[in-house]
Parts: sequence; C-alpha cells; structure tokens
Amino acid sequence: MKILLIEDDPHTSGYVAKGLRERGHVVEHSANGREGLLLASGGAYDVMVIDRMLPGLDGLAIVKTIRAAGTKAPVLLLTTLGGVNDRVEGLEAGADDYLTKPFAFAELLARVNALARRPPMTEEATVLRVADLELNLLKRTVTRGGKKLDLQTQEFRLLEYLMRNAGQVVTRTMLLENVWGFHFDPHTSVVETHISRLRAKVDREFDNDLIHTVRGSGYSLNGSE
Amino acid sequence: MAPNSFFRSTNFRLLAWYAAVFGASVAILLFMVYWITLAALDEQLNDSVERETQVLIELYRGRGLDSVVRAIQLRAEELRAPRRYYLLQDKHGKRIAGNLPPMKATEGEMVLPVSFLYPDRRSKAEDPAGAYPIVARGRRLEKGEFLLVGESRYRSVKAHEAILRALGWGVAITVLLAAGGGAALGTGFLRRIEEINRTTRSIMDGDLSKRVPTRGGDDEMDHLAINLNAMLDRIQGLMESLKQVSDDIAHDLRTPLSRLRHQLETAREKAGADGAPVIEQSIADVDAILETFSALLRIAQIESGARRAAFSGVSLAQIVSTVSETYAPVAEDSGQRLKAIIDPTPTIHGDRELLTQMVANLIENSIRHCPAGVDITVRVGQESGSPVVCVADTGPGIPAAERDKVFRRFYRLEASRTTPGSGLGLALVKAVADLHDASAELSDNKPGLRCTVRFHAAGDGGAGTNSARGAPDTQAPHATA
Repeated sequence: MKILLIEDDPHTSGYVAKGLRERGHVVEHSANGREGLLLASGGAYDVMVIDRMLPGLDGLAIVKTIRAAGTKAPVLLLTTLGGVNDRVEGLEAGADDYLTKPFAFAELLARVNALARRPPMTEEATVLRVADLELNLLKRTVTRGGKKLDLQTQEFRLLEYLMRNAGQVVTRTMLLENVWGFHFDPHTSVVETHISRLRAKVDREFDNDLIHTVRGSGYSLNGSE
Repeated sequence: MAPNSFFRSTNFRLLAWYAAVFGASVAILLFMVYWITLAALDEQLNDSVERETQVLIELYRGRGLDSVVRAIQLRAEELRAPRRYYLLQDKHGKRIAGNLPPMKATEGEMVLPVSFLYPDRRSKAEDPAGAYPIVARGRRLEKGEFLLVGESRYRSVKAHEAILRALGWGVAITVLLAAGGGAALGTGFLRRIEEINRTTRSIMDGDLSKRVPTRGGDDEMDHLAINLNAMLDRIQGLMESLKQVSDDIAHDLRTPLSRLRHQLETAREKAGADGAPVIEQSIADVDAILETFSALLRIAQIESGARRAAFSGVSLAQIVSTVSETYAPVAEDSGQRLKAIIDPTPTIHGDRELLTQMVANLIENSIRHCPAGVDITVRVGQESGSPVVCVADTGPGIPAAERDKVFRRFYRLEASRTTPGSGLGLALVKAVADLHDASAELSDNKPGLRCTVRFHAAGDGGAGTNSARGAPDTQAPHATA
C-alpha cells in the first residue's frame, strides 16, 4: 500500500513509518502541514495518516481542503487530545477514523488496513460468507456448514463486523467503537466475554476455528487456516 | 414574550404605580381648581347682589319708594337669564313689587331653594335659569319696607358641572397616557432584559461566544450590557486558558509517555522470553497512567459544559437497554445476575455518548465491587414526571457517611483499595449528570447500593434553561433487555 504520513513529532513518525515499512508498505512522510497538503493533493495514496496538531497548517484544515478538492483516499486522524468533541470534529471535517495518542502500533496497523480495504458504500452485500460460515443480513440468520446458529442481537452484530473485516486484525477498541458504540475504555472484560460466547456458538462444534486471537493486537476472523 | 410574563414583570408593577400616582395628582389638582373656582363664583354672586341692593337702597333714599317700585318692575321684565330676582314688601308683609312670592322678612344673606321659586312646580321647565337656587340678600328699609335682591346660581352650578366633567376626563386621559407611555417604554425595556436572558441562557448551554447586544447609546442598559460583555470576555478568556493549559498538559505529558510506550513495544519485540513479561507489565502500567490522565481531562472537559452545544434528543430507555444487554454476559461470567427493567421514558435532551458511558460506569461499579451471587437491577423509568435511571445491587453497599464522597475524584473506599480502578468512574457519572442538569445520588438498597440519576423531562423548565432548547417530547419505544 502507498501510505502518506503527516506527523511533526520525529519520534512518532519514525516509529510509525518504520513499522509500516517493515510490513511492506510504501510510506511518504512530511513533518509540515503545508508540505503535507501539497503531497496529499498530488499523489494517489491508499491511506493517509494525518496528525491533528501540525506546524504550518493543522490536520483538520488539511482534511477539509483535500475533501473539498475531491480526494477520496481514507484518512486516519491522529491526536494527543482525548477530548470529547475532537472525535466528532475530526469526523465532521471528513476524516474516516480517529486514533488518540499514545497508541499501540498494532492498533494503528489494524485501522489502516481496515480503512484501505473498506468496501465502497454502494456495494452493500446482503449475505456475508467466510469459509462455511454464512450470515444473511436481511433474514438476520447465521448458518455454518448448513447448520443454523442461534445468535443474540449483540452476538450477531459482533459477528457481522468480524466478517466484514474478515482476514484482518480488528482491535478491542475497534470492536468497542463499531459494535457497541462505546467511545471509552471499559474496566471490565466486555469484549472478551462477548467474543468467548460467540466462539462457543461459531467454533465449538466444528473442526476448524474461524475466530482467532491475535496476541497483543486483537481478533481476526479467518477461514483459510 | 408570553402575555402572562408581562403582568408578572417589574415593568407592569411600575406602570400600575405610575398610572395611579399620576391619576391621583391630576384628581387632586382639578379638585382644588373646582374648590377655588366655586368659591370665587359665589363671592362674585354675593358682590353682585350686594351692589344691586345698594343701588336700590340709594334710589329709595334719594327718590322714594315709587322709584324703587318702577325700577324693580322694569328690571324684572327686561332681565333674562341669569336673571335677578326682586321682592319689595310693605311693613305688613304685603308684596308691593317683584318677581318672587311674598315671604317672611329676614335680613341678611340667604340661599333660596328652587322649591321656594316654584311652590307648585308647574312653570319650572319654562326658564332654565329658574331651575337653580337663588343667592339673595334681604334688607329692611328705613320706613319698615322689606327689600330682597337675589340672583340665580346658574353660573356657579354650570361651572360646577363643567369642572366635574373635566375632572373625570382628565383623570381618565392621564391614566391612559401614563399606561400607554409606560407600556411603550417598558416593552422596550423588557425586550432588552429578554435579550440579556437569552444570551445568558445560551452561554449556560455552552455557547461561550454569545454577547449581549448593545445599542450604541450611553444609557444604563448599555452600560449593563457592556459590563456583562466585559465579564463574559473575562470568563471566556479564563475558560480558554484553562482549556489551553489542559491541552498543553495533555500534549506535553502524553507525548513523552507515548514515546515510552513505543520504546517498550519495540523492546518487547527484541526481548527474549525472559524480558517479555516485565515489559508487558510496564506497558500495562503506562497504559494505566495514560488512562487516568485521559479520564481526568475528559471529566474537566465535560464540566466545562462545551458539550451542551451538541445536545440532541436521546432515548434513555434505548441507551439503558443496549448497555445492560452488553453487560449482562459480563455479570454472568462474574457469577452475578444483571436484570434490566425498561419502562417507557420521555426523551431527554442530552449527549448519547456520555450518557452511554455514565450508565456503563454505574453498571461496572456494581459488577466490580460486588462479590459473586448478587443481583444487579438496572431500571429506567419515570418518577413523578422525571426520567430516572437507577442501578441497584445487593452487594456490600457504602456506609451513609461516605456516600457523597465517592463522587469525588480519586476517592476510594478502604474496602476497594485492592481492586484495580482509577477512582474516577463515579466522578465521571457525577460530571455527566451535572452536564444534563440531572441529580445523582446514592442510597441504601437494603442491602446494597442504589444509585439514582434523576433527569428533567425535555420541555420541563428544569434549571430555567431546558425550555429554550426545545427538544421533542416523544415517548421512547418500549424495549426490554
């Protein structure tokens, strides 16, 4: 993937760029808002990672400008402000996702991957399939190997999110935000509990497991193994 | 402005007083004019009668009785209203001349009533002047005759009536003018007060950039507006510097912590099986510090009230239903039972994200501080018209003396020192409740702890600000967990 990184803190940018390159991505970096805007409007990137606080021109302004110019590449906004209004402001400006510093590299990587593979909005599938697992969005039914699975509402939503991001790592925070709408870190094992219940229904009676735990990162629904 | 508020306003009371005082002054003034005018008219009448009497007496002394008789006959025929009255009687009381019926000879001033003039009351309507009482003066002449000269009080009575009419109209017009003028002045005054109220309301709702409009005049209202605006500038400055300081702290402290975390992550990759657990624990510790830090900043930002600007209609029933559904398996895994009672609840004006966190914190508080086997009941409903969220457990509870303190930041009970947590969970609950003008209180669940958050229904004038927000007052869909 070709990724643009606009970040003024040399430590963070070095750490992020190194990590992304190690995983085979092409990273272009700018430490300045104005220069970053020029890069963003010029090149065709798969994903842009933009810091909110930048010298020259701030991140929100860059996002607004490139969106106004018609650039559709997904944007992940980084910030040190864990402020309650910042996330909304970022999304309203046209960013696609939002990550508060400090973050684990695994979290950033998972979100960048999710953004890059995001299916276009027009192509709304009604049936999701991974290996022998099938989820019907209209009938609200799930079957595996032809056998009907009985899922609760929240288990259904969790499985739907995992299947939409099949083959990729989804982090605990991504699940909290997208499945439950929790924009805070709970002090109890909400995600773990629900995942373990879902596993009991999806994987227990079958030979190969579909839901995998990715150590230090999150979970992944994967049928190829 | 509702018509009702006008009659309750200071302005209306001032107006009523203003009209009453002015009306009374005009009444007193006209009454004095009336008094003085009548006295003057009566005096004039007396003088006129006195002069006429003197003229006739001089005629009597100079020319004799016959001249007087002729003079009286001449005058009685010629004079019209306001007419004079004459009576000349001999010493036996027999009328010699005049246009009055004979009477008992009495000297001095007197007032003869209308009934004296027309004892049979038949000819009354013929002469309007005749319908009025007569001011008269009787004099006994040198040879024993009796002379009476009188004059109708026509003018005096007419003046009396005219002044009374003027008094009535004068008072009515004054009161009307005072009321009209006062209302015109007062409406302008009320409008400016309302402008100030509107501004303060939107500031309380989180829009700190609002200012009271000024007219550019140099009156007291403008001075008030200018002073209020100066005060608001100062408050906004303080709020901004507070925000700046917390943002700076957030940035300056979190950046090095960020780096520390990144370095630890890099180290974890390089470290062998021996070092990894230690580094893992260090990362967890850094995360805990960062989390406490975020929670503090979040509470501070909620308390600033800026979030109110983004309030919208939210269904508490829906939030409670979703959150309790999420936590039911978590409670079950800790050997507890979580039950949700969802009653229809009016929509409130609020922030969905923060309310979700508030309900989650309340439920987590019960899950984390209660042993296995307890029942946790989450209830949303209506109590005397107010939407209420209540989380109750049958756990150890909190001693009465400590209940208010647990809403403080970092306050932790002795019993829970050993359980992990920042001590900020309930402080955040309180901050979110305050932001929504709601009250959060802890009580004894006998046994256990009950936390109740009581809201104002949307449209209910809670804290005097909700009515201005105009949220829809619809019923939430009935939902069960």
